[in-house]
Parts: sequence; C-alpha cells; structure tokens
Amino acid sequence: MKNIVLARIDDRLLHGQVVVSWIPNVKANEVVIVDNEYADDEFMSELIKNASPENIKVNLFDVAGAADYLKGEDDGSRILILSRYIENINELINLNVEIKCVNVGGLGNVKGRERYLNSIHLSSRELEILKDISKKNIAVEIKMLPNDKTVSVE
Amino acid sequence: MTALEFFLISILYFWASSTALSLGIGYYTIYRPVVSGFMTGLILGDPFLGMMTGAVVNIIYMNFVSTGGSFKGDQCLTAVVAAAAAVKLGVGPVEAASFAYPFGYLGILIWKYRLNINSIFVNKYEKDYENGKNPDISFYDGLYPQLLLYVMSSIIVGAAFLIMSVFDNIIMDYYENIKLFLFMAGMFLVSFSVINILSNLKNKYAYLSFEIFFLAVIIFDISSYWFFLAAAIILFVLSNKSIRIHNKRSNKNNNISNKDLMYSWFIWMNFSHSCYSYDRLQGLAFAHSMKNIFKKLYKDKDEVSRAIHSHAEFFNTEPNMGTPIHGYIISVEEQSSLNANHTDTAYIKKGMMGIAAGLGDSYTQVVLTPLFISLSVMMCLDGIYIAAFLPILYLAGSILFISYSGWMNGYYTGREYLMERINTVKNSKVKKHFLHIFSGILGVAAAKLILSGLEPSNTVYTLEAVALSAAAYWVIKRSKR
Repeated sequence: MKNIVLARIDDRLLHGQVVVSWIPNVKANEVVIVDNEYADDEFMSELIKNASPENIKVNLFDVAGAADYLKGEDDGSRILILSRYIENINELINLNVEIKCVNVGGLGNVKGRERYLNSIHLSSRELEILKDISKKNIAVEIKMLPNDKTVSVE
Repeated sequence: MTALEFFLISILYFWASSTALSLGIGYYTIYRPVVSGFMTGLILGDPFLGMMTGAVVNIIYMNFVSTGGSFKGDQCLTAVVAAAAAVKLGVGPVEAASFAYPFGYLGILIWKYRLNINSIFVNKYEKDYENGKNPDISFYDGLYPQLLLYVMSSIIVGAAFLIMSVFDNIIMDYYENIKLFLFMAGMFLVSFSVINILSNLKNKYAYLSFEIFFLAVIIFDISSYWFFLAAAIILFVLSNKSIRIHNKRSNKNNNISNKDLMYSWFIWMNFSHSCYSYDRLQGLAFAHSMKNIFKKLYKDKDEVSRAIHSHAEFFNTEPNMGTPIHGYIISVEEQSSLNANHTDTAYIKKGMMGIAAGLGDSYTQVVLTPLFISLSVMMCLDGIYIAAFLPILYLAGSILFISYSGWMNGYYTGREYLMERINTVKNSKVKKHFLHIFSGILGVAAAKLILSGLEPSNTVYTLEAVALSAAAYWVIKRSKR
C-alpha cells in the first residue's frame, strides 16, 4: 500500500490553495486525481498532467484504476488524493485503500446542496457518507486551508 | 483631518480594496502599501513621505498571497493609517508602520463579511430570474455590491481614524517616550517578515543572494539605481518575448467582433471580484462578462437572460491567467447559437478553472507581484520615488497583457491555448530564477531601510529588534511542530 498523506475533496482539484498551501503543508510529492469523467477525456487528462507543479508527479485515474495504483508497492512517495466527489473517496475506502484523513474544502453550491461552511456546500447524502467514513476511524476535517480552524465531522 | 481628506481617503480605500473598477490591476497596484501609502500621502499633502511609509509596511506584507478569498491582514488599510500617521503626526516611517499594524486586523473584517454579504445579491438575482423578471446582471454583480462595499469601506476608514484621533494626543504628548518602543516594534515586524520569507524560500542560494546584497549595500552604500538597472536587464533577457495575440478571423460566420471580445474582457477585468461570495465566488462575474456576447448572439430577451443565467454558477480561477477559458467559452457559445444546439460548457469550465487557478496563483501572485513590488520598495527606501513607479507600471502592463492575450487567444485558437499557456509558464525563465533575484532585491531593500536616515544611536536597537524577531520566529516554528 502506498503512503497516502491526505485525501481532499474539492471541485477545483489541483488549484491555487492546493498547490500553494496543502502540498507543502502535508509534504506531498505526488498527487493522484480520482475522476471518472476526466480520466475518460483525453484533452482534460493531458491538461491536468501538464499543469502539475514542479517536482510533483500527477496521475489521473478512474476510481478502479486509482484503487489498483494506490494498493501498489510503497515507493516512498507521499500521496495527496484529489477528487471532486465524496462518493469517489468513499468507494476507494470501500475498496480497502488505506486513507487516514479526509479533508473537505471548496464544494460549490449546486442543486441539492446546502451551505455547510464558507464555500463548502454539502447535500444531506454527502454528509451521511462523511459521517460513515468518520465511523471507520478516519479523520474527516472540513476546512479550506491548513491553518483554518478545523471542523470535524463525527 | 478635513471632511474632504476623509472623503478622498475613503474613496481610495474602497477603490483599492474592492479590486474592482480598476481594470483588474488595482489588486496588484493600488492595493499594495507602497502605492496606497503614496496616494494617502498625496491626499494629505506629502506623497513621498506616504510612499516611504507605505514601502516599510509593504515589507511586512511582502509574502502576502491570497487564494480563494483567504486573507491574513489588510495591508492597504495598514498603509493608509501608517501614511496618515507619518504625514499628519510627523511620526517616522518605521514607527508609523508599527503603530498602524493592528489596524490591518480591522480591515480584514470587510473581507470576512463581504463574502457572506454578497450572497444577498446572488439570491436576489436568482429569485428575480426564477420569477421571470429577466434581471440585469450588471446591477447584481456590479452596482449593488460596489455601493455596499463603499459604505463598508468608509465605515472602516471612519472607525480607523476615530481610533487614531484618540491616540493623536497621547502620541503627540508622549511621542519622545514611546518613539523607541514603536521603532523597535516596527523593526521587529519588518525583520520577522524578512526571516519568514527567507525561510519559506528554502533555497540556500537565495539566502546567499540575500546575504551578499545586504552586506554589499551596508558596507559600500551602493545606490539602488544600479540594482534596478541590473534587475531590469536580467528580467529583459529572461522574459519570454514570443507570445503573440491572435485576432485574425478565419471564419466569416463569426457574429462576435473583436470589439465585442474586448468589451466583455473589460467587464470581466473590472468586476471579476465585485460580487465575490462564498456560494459562487466569481460566478456572477463570469455571467456579467458574457452579457454583451449573448445580446449579440440572441435576439429574444428571455433567451439572452437564460444564457447569461446559465453562466452564473460557481466559478473561480485566477482572473488573469484563466482568461483562455472565457475566450474559449465565447467561441463555444457562438458555435452553439449558430448550430442551434446546446453544448454543456459547465463541465469544461470547471475542469479548466482549477488548473488555471493553480497555475496563475503560483505565477502572478507568487512570482510577478513580489518581484516588481520589491523592486519598487527598494527604490523608495533609497529615497528614489519617481523611478519606483516603473516596476509597478511594468507589473500592471504584464498583468493586462497576460489577461488580454489569454482572452483573445482562447477565442481564436481554442482550449488548446490553455495548454500552451501552461507550458509557457512552466518553462518561464523568470520563474526559474525568481528566488535568487527576489532575495537579492530583498537584501538591498533591508539594507536600505537600515541605512535610511537612522541615527547611529538607533543601530543597537535595530540589532536588538532583529535578534528578538529571529528568536520569536524560532520559538513559533518550534511550537508549531
């Protein structure tokens, strides 16, 4: 099993807050993006890989591919998982990928979602999934930036 | 302070902190202490003293980066108060900077509540749309939030000056007694900021560059003109001169003219953060920038309103680097209006915006801004004021070029342009050598501050303040672990 330092759920995937704040904060050197749609779209996957920050390896997989990859041998890299959907992270956990901490930040207000905290919006179903995850002894933290106050879901 | 001075300063603070109505460059220019200090000084009668004070404040905020509406302290309000204290009360620049520092926390109140309050306009727009009223997006994204922001800004400026007037008498009566304390606190803040920046650079050649330039200036007192000239030459050599703006039409069917494109770019640049809210961030601004485009593409009023509304959902990117998205979306919308079929642009926008934001923040805010602002600060601290505007003008020009070329090229060459842009930034030589150039400039600036008009009796206190800040930094770092 590879060393997963954090799994972040964020609409914007690899964007400013992640590049400037989170990657240095958790000392990650590899990013795994879990996204079924983008993994299927040639332009988007090339774009995402091209945009990888310096010295950071970026991989893009669908959920099944990501589970296979993450269960591979630990090569010493520190992995930050990014996904737009809580469901994807939940599926990874159900596929026995070892995730210790789930961070929720930056989920837009789409139909069915309610504002939870600042720019973080969650549907009741998504909140249920987060609660289930936290019952498995996985830390679920809702915060935009590393130094923000942590709101835990229990 | 007269009523006119108060009015002008409240306008200045509103204009600088709104980041709107300044063609998108206000955030990189008038919001920065070196410029807002100058403008405050201009209003109060001593522009260059204001600029010098602003430069000191600017060092304290040199490592400031905002991503997705996150903020530390309000550098602009700090600079306004500091410059006012320096000009009106005759306090020295370093003393004024430390006196004004706590006011920065008053300023962030606006940012904290602005993102909440703006949801009112989002909701009102949505409600009017649902009721079939075809709401005019320019009111909800432009006029209303800006009016409200002006009221909030003038209240904050009013409160700041009220607090200041309470301290006026105390400072005037006991200035000789507290001068030393303010001076040491100011030096402490400056030195703490420099140590923090250097340790975050995590690059031994950057430390070396800082040390060499710092010591060279302390020992030989070299004029910063030389460093300015050297930096200008190096940056010119390193800069990418191959970027072109495409504006040749290949398709005769185009309804959208270059003038339309320019106008929608103009709206975006002026209002990208005008109705910045937690629910949508720049969503309403994106829709606002599409208004003239849809008016051109559709004749039916309901159809125009529907199209604009479809772009009002959550959107957030780096406003200058991300413009190929807008250009490309305009071309997609144009094609779907011609073929009368609907393309799902939401999915494309979402995928591209995060990438452009990551790329943009790590370039415009992390590389370009500190580079040119520090050059300006360095000149100011050496008493060279007029030339200190050159780096700021150049920074503003670069930002405009980045955003305008992205907009046009996104429209004419498609979404591949974002890919091209990523590679340009990745291979940027300025970015590659940024650390060494920036830390060198910072070294000169720090040395100039120490040399600038400090009486020899202050040398010991300066050293004490630097030692204290180093110790404080070490303690904080250790306690965080």
